[in-house]
Amino acid sequence: MPYSAEISRTNPGCFIFLIDQSGSMIEPISGGDGRRKCDIVSDSINRLLHNLIIKCARGEGIRDFYELAVVGYGATVAPGFSGPLAGRDIVALSEVANNPARVEERVKDLDDGAGGIIQQKTKFPVWFEPIAKGTTPMGAALDLAHHLLTGWCQSHNYSYPPIVINISDGEATDFGPEPQAEALTTLHTSDGNVLLLNIHISGENLTPIVFPDSDEDLPDEFARTLFEVSSPLPANMRELAKNENLTLGEEARGFAFNADMIELIRFLDIGTRSSTMR
Amino acid sequence: MEPTVQVFWTPKKGNSQEEYEDAFGCAVEEGRFAIADGATESSFAEIWSTILTQKFISAPPEGQPPEHQSLINWVAPLQKEWHSNIMWDRLPWFAEEKARKGAFATFLGMEFNEEEEVEEGIMDKLLFMFKKQKNTGPRWRALTIGDSNMYQIRDDELITSWPLTKGIQFTHRPTLISSNPTANETVWDHFIYETGEFEEGDTFILATDAIAKWFLDRVELGEKPWHMLNKIKSEEDFSNLVAELRSGLKMQNDDTTIISIHWEESSADD
Repeated sequence: MPYSAEISRTNPGCFIFLIDQSGSMIEPISGGDGRRKCDIVSDSINRLLHNLIIKCARGEGIRDFYELAVVGYGATVAPGFSGPLAGRDIVALSEVANNPARVEERVKDLDDGAGGIIQQKTKFPVWFEPIAKGTTPMGAALDLAHHLLTGWCQSHNYSYPPIVINISDGEATDFGPEPQAEALTTLHTSDGNVLLLNIHISGENLTPIVFPDSDEDLPDEFARTLFEVSSPLPANMRELAKNENLTLGEEARGFAFNADMIELIRFLDIGTRSSTMR
Repeated sequence: MEPTVQVFWTPKKGNSQEEYEDAFGCAVEEGRFAIADGATESSFAEIWSTILTQKFISAPPEGQPPEHQSLINWVAPLQKEWHSNIMWDRLPWFAEEKARKGAFATFLGMEFNEEEEVEEGIMDKLLFMFKKQKNTGPRWRALTIGDSNMYQIRDDELITSWPLTKGIQFTHRPTLISSNPTANETVWDHFIYETGEFEEGDTFILATDAIAKWFLDRVELGEKPWHMLNKIKSEEDFSNLVAELRSGLKMQNDDTTIISIHWEESSADD
């Protein structure tokens, strides 16, 4: 059965995050209290990396159950890590853990259990910075993912297939993304094809469409194209989505349209929380 | 009677022996045995499972069954011991954050008494003759949380399967006891206590979840899986059996541990 490989150090999983850094990412995101899309996205990616690291931490170290890359696309299309990992593409999780660009101290509001709020300081490591400049070369970003994963799939034939998560707020400006997405999702390991999940985030207060199983309710050609190039969700992700009280059909695609801040975080969680890690 | 005790263990395939997170403890003279399965998702789980088993065989919780407060009192110094075993100032940020969540484990401890003395309350005294007849033979007592399991075999039949009785009852989310006190608020109700009698010729098997589930799956198919376990004479035999069962998908790939206790006539009784 495809998409059932156990994720282990011998056969690690792989994530590639493609992040839109076009000029429009400077605008506020829906549901974000005026915060910019680029800030919310970079915070979400940094928090996701943080959670993944804690999940794989054992004793004094990290078990390398995952390898990952962050690619930014806007004025340039390039690996997106800051700090010691700048310029690096696919990196083992332990290297990510040991090389944040910096560790911020943030204050978190916590319920004190007696009707009040207490503030707690938490460490917030940063690997990826917010950038909003240039156009939307989504096709070139998918091409770079294809380039990175061609070799990876060959050398990790028994691994769970790589998961590529593309976060964008607008249409491709470079004749993408159909041919590039198609090429990317034909890459495969023995456990299945590369999964491409697309999240379209919006500044407008519209109802998000999450994991649709047809393009019927999608508002325009751009949305239908993104739906078309998104992979059908494997059973374990459908299960995770159902546990989040989402209603979705057997043919549900890894796609969200007009996502607000909440949906962005939930989508990333479902897309990266594999149930097969041991 | 005296017990012949055998312990076999093997780590999850793909992990080193140092990464084995189950634990076992045997105090044969005292008739105490324990196993624990450290949760692999948590950090320093091997330290926690070892502390739980070692503490049980040297000083189990008081009470039959132990009350909540007795369990809390028993676990509290173990949590301090776990904490003091970690070199906190040497940990990188992520390891410290993970360890602060605590380690988690299942646990199963057993105590055998050949001449059980009945604790006598007023009612016990009134029922003295009855109790004398019912309760004074060799008895075992067991305490558990989570999905480690115990089997009692007599005359080639399984007469006790405890606390789980069906393979389907093994889930990926057993209740766990934590080294972090704040994670234990709701676990005390999940401790289960049981007692029963035993006699010469009985064999007890204490098993962590992977092999415990395999055992019950085979029983449900009408087989007698203890026959396969009886043939094991060495760690190598055990590793080979487990490897074969894993590759045939009959057993989950997980740390795997059994303690086998066979009661027979003691040489002094001859």
